[in-house]
Amino acid sequence: MSEATPASKPEAKKIPRPLPRVNAYMDTRPFWQAANNGKLLIQYCKESGKPQWYPRPVSLATGRRNLEWREVCGRGKVYSWTVTYSAWPGHEDRVPYICALVELDEGVRMLANLLNVKGEDVKIGMPVQLCWERLSDEINYPAFEPVTPR
Amino acid sequence: MTKRKDIAVIGYGETKITLRGGRSSYDLAGEVLEQIVNQTGIDPRQIDGLSIAETMSETANPFWGVFMCEQLGLSPTWMQVNGLGGASGTGGIARAAAAIRDGLCETVLVLASDAQSSARPTDQGAHRYEFMYPTGLRGPVGSFGLLTQRYRHQYGLKDEALAKLAVTQRRHALMNPNACDKLRVPLTEADYLNSKYVSEPLRMLDSVMVCDGANGVLVTSTANAKKLGAKKMIHPIGYGEITNFKGSEMLVDITESGFTVAGPKALAQAGMTPRDIRMIMPYDDFLIAILLTFEHVGFCGRGEGSEFILNTDLSYKGTLPLNTSGGQISAGQPGLAGGGLNLVEAVRQMFGEAGERQVSDPRNAMVTGIGVIPYGRNWGVSTVLILEQS
Repeated sequence: MSEATPASKPEAKKIPRPLPRVNAYMDTRPFWQAANNGKLLIQYCKESGKPQWYPRPVSLATGRRNLEWREVCGRGKVYSWTVTYSAWPGHEDRVPYICALVELDEGVRMLANLLNVKGEDVKIGMPVQLCWERLSDEINYPAFEPVTPR
Repeated sequence: MTKRKDIAVIGYGETKITLRGGRSSYDLAGEVLEQIVNQTGIDPRQIDGLSIAETMSETANPFWGVFMCEQLGLSPTWMQVNGLGGASGTGGIARAAAAIRDGLCETVLVLASDAQSSARPTDQGAHRYEFMYPTGLRGPVGSFGLLTQRYRHQYGLKDEALAKLAVTQRRHALMNPNACDKLRVPLTEADYLNSKYVSEPLRMLDSVMVCDGANGVLVTSTANAKKLGAKKMIHPIGYGEITNFKGSEMLVDITESGFTVAGPKALAQAGMTPRDIRMIMPYDDFLIAILLTFEHVGFCGRGEGSEFILNTDLSYKGTLPLNTSGGQISAGQPGLAGGGLNLVEAVRQMFGEAGERQVSDPRNAMVTGIGVIPYGRNWGVSTVLILEQS
């Protein structure tokens, strides 16, 4: 939609998978520190009790900054998904890969990759659980996979 | 805007759409001004307002609007840069009308120009580098892939309806000399259905090709239009707009857009129902956006978009002509000037100047705008504008 969609030409210079720019638009350090220990945090408004994702500078419920981070259980359901065949720059080696909106049990949706599953086996409403991709020594990036019986 | 005809559109201009044409957004804009000057006979010194869309190719320049004035020799007493993405053209007319009514200026050039396919990609920062790009979601294509998948799940989607949209618009583009040459080749429904998935279920032929180009319209009060001796004029009679629809909610239905707000508002102001609309020029970054526009504005019910498309003659000769210059999908998307492409076509049709694709009795038109891809929601900006002849 009127936005940059850089072509991923084979002759283009290969870009490595980009690491997230951490703590750039607001203080997200608690999220990444917890992620590095395998815990998924999201923001909660302390006044309304409502969760929100992605992190915002204010509560979307009240407009005030009375916010805190809380750990979530890491379970949810697939709200929608798409199989990417034409990569976003830096993701060429991963094609085809699945991007999904996962609705967490706590009531927010998270954009994340679905791992350990093929596109033809994904269904909307399918239960998924948190897993992690280690992108660097400092960065654990949240992803989801089908719930497996333990 | 209420239903009154105190504001008039008296001229328009549009460049040819090119792929990596190499000309700057200033140079392209100059071509639009020249067309408007030649068409209306206006002295550029009488243009005292500029309502200009943001542009991808010059977006790093925070003084873009003022630079444009300097390039074109304009000295406006009111100037505004519209950052509504693809909704900047329709939104630009509404803002121009408000400024004219408030006496800030009298005659406004509503301009859009972008050389996006000739420029380096721009930076859209904030949360995207932290929580979107690392997943590899493929920009707008990826977001519309998610949207399409969800729509299929909730309502069912007939691929042949999207194929019909693709073919109808392409036939129109073949009659539009301003359409990008690369796209001016015939297209069949089979071509659409066989086109490869980019972000499944979204196909290559579901989406626009980013190009270069510029367009604009000249807006003034109806009283001034008469004083200027304008030969032709049409009037904005209804407008609705919303940004970040349901922005405070987390679990929104991503298949529901701000057109559910902007559409009824524009129609109510115009005193119309969808049945009264003669032509529709919807913003078309992706084919499914057209289908959703029909549903959300009220041409049909939710989930009925496929049937509505299959049962309606959307050709320029039909009951509801659709994007008669080919739309962005078949004429090419001139970057952030894309929102002006279907707008200018509506004006051209209502002036009776659309040549071999001329719609009969072009008494009114609905033009819509869509802007910006948010995180896990429907699109960011929705605008609906209704234009009517005098």
